[in-house]
Amino acid sequence: MAAGSMVGRTLSDRLILVAVIVLGIVMVAPIVWALGLSLKTNAELMVDTSSVLHAPYTLQNYWDLVIGSPVFRWFVNSMIVSLGMTIGVLVLSSLAGYGFARLEFPGRDIIFVLVLFGLAVPEQAVIIPRHQLFSELGLHNTYIGLILPGLSTSFGVFLMTQYFRAIPREVDEAAMLDNATRFQVFWRVLLPMTLPAQATLGIYTFLHAWNDYWWPLISGTNAQMYTVTVGIASTQINFAESAGLGFLMAQAIFAALPILIVYVFFQKYIVRAVSGGAT
Amino acid sequence: MAELEIINVSKTFGQSKVIDNVSLTVGAKEFVVFLGPSGCGKSTLLRMIAGLETVDEGEIRIGGKRVDALPPGERGVAMVFQHYALYPHMTVRENMSFGLRNVKIAPAEIDRRVAAAAKMLEIEHLLQRKPAQISGGQRQRVAIGRAIVKEPHLFLFDEPLSNLDAALRVRTRLEIAQLHQRVDAAMIFVTHDQIEAMTLAHRIVVMNNQRIEQIGTPMEVYSRPATAFVAGFVGTPCMNFAPVEITGASPFVTLRLPDGSMLETRVDRKALPEGGRFKLGVRAESVRPCATGEGNCSGTVKFVERLGDRTLVYVLLSDGTTIVAEDAGMSRIAIADAVGLRFDSAGVHLFDDVRGYHAAEGA
Repeated sequence: MAAGSMVGRTLSDRLILVAVIVLGIVMVAPIVWALGLSLKTNAELMVDTSSVLHAPYTLQNYWDLVIGSPVFRWFVNSMIVSLGMTIGVLVLSSLAGYGFARLEFPGRDIIFVLVLFGLAVPEQAVIIPRHQLFSELGLHNTYIGLILPGLSTSFGVFLMTQYFRAIPREVDEAAMLDNATRFQVFWRVLLPMTLPAQATLGIYTFLHAWNDYWWPLISGTNAQMYTVTVGIASTQINFAESAGLGFLMAQAIFAALPILIVYVFFQKYIVRAVSGGAT
Repeated sequence: MAELEIINVSKTFGQSKVIDNVSLTVGAKEFVVFLGPSGCGKSTLLRMIAGLETVDEGEIRIGGKRVDALPPGERGVAMVFQHYALYPHMTVRENMSFGLRNVKIAPAEIDRRVAAAAKMLEIEHLLQRKPAQISGGQRQRVAIGRAIVKEPHLFLFDEPLSNLDAALRVRTRLEIAQLHQRVDAAMIFVTHDQIEAMTLAHRIVVMNNQRIEQIGTPMEVYSRPATAFVAGFVGTPCMNFAPVEITGASPFVTLRLPDGSMLETRVDRKALPEGGRFKLGVRAESVRPCATGEGNCSGTVKFVERLGDRTLVYVLLSDGTTIVAEDAGMSRIAIADAVGLRFDSAGVHLFDDVRGYHAAEGA
């Protein structure tokens, strides 16, 4: 009985392992392919992209990137927008989460429901009025214009509210008996206790902001204000073009570096976030 | 001078009253225990003293100064919570010094106080650790240490032992008693555990249904309970209760037990109000098993608890009433034996059967 159960378990473990490997390959293959393309000359790729499977390889595309591509400018734009949005979301979500979890004020529960309602509203539904509003306010082609819409995150407020609620009120009370002001209770006692949630929210916000394409495409119409996603897309003249493919891929790999670094260093928090704290 | 005065204090949550016109005085260096079942209001009263709950009516004074409008940190009290409430991201040293840093105590003085408290509680080797790296018992010591360093006028303990295992609970209880001898402050300790109350308190405040049932020394509460509730709540096993009829003439009353047997007492007839209905209350140690026919009544043994130094015998009377009697540790009484019960008249209490107050007791 026990042996049978063990066999069954081993079999299911192996099936899961195979599925994980297949999924991993599906995820990684395009990145490896892009990396390979970026290491080939454009002339070779014009003839046949299968040349990526054999030598010679070159760093010429990366050198071209260094000496003459606007991708650095777009990279900086993306970095400013992503970091600005991440910091803004963390500050606002933490304050709002604390407020909803700990303060008592009229209409609190209704306001919280309204905030959660934001989870159900797709961006497509608000993009036109937002565009008109930002246009009238002259916020297009500015960093504020790129950052501001991303700060109102229902998910962030919800996550931080739930996290603050999970902290026993006795901790607040102990701090109050320790002569801490309300802000000290928030800043020095409770906020450090929410660091795991902050890390999760921060990483997700950063990744979302870095990968965002639609709003930067609408708001950043000036090439100087392109983010990497919009900028790289703008260099591709037509669909499935093969001219300059190696250079295009070098830009893409360069643009993806921060994302790869974030994934490598903050994997623990990403896993924790997607597993809902089950780890 | 009284360290704490609670004067006609009431508290309401929504429509329900959780503290109903409570008054109490706690002397300097006195150890008072709030004892009562869950929901009786004892923790709420403690939190009102600490400033964690508002006072709807009445006033609270600490050291002669009215404090019920002051924030918790300005009341001169320190509190130890049931679940420790340590700051998990801070080391033990930082936990203990946090409150002192907030009131700008000089760093050298903070170090001195933390070192002294850590030495007293034998947690010096834990000062650099975080709460997650120490055991439950050690966390409770840190929580106590955090209270000690503030050198408060009044310590408040909110069921601080309830998260500890049995052995650690006994040890920590003893340490809290020793701590009280060392520090120059009054202590209020909330518990639903009567043994903690009996062993720690100078005075016990027994609470029930948002009111104080009785205030007294442990032995007063035990030997002369003010109400049937107190009699039933304090003491293990619970006091035996049985409705009785008063039949005797003066000077002493005779009681008719529910099974019809008669019990002569030393209760003065004049001590009882006229026309009242009463119930008998008698502790197990005042009822001894004996041979059938020799005692005041008799019945059948339905259960025996052997506790080592004594044996509790649960005797079923003919009317279905159960009386718990106490026998010697080496008792040979077994289940289904027929036994007699002999009541010690000095241990007999009579309670008003309607309102529950203590009416009279045996001399």
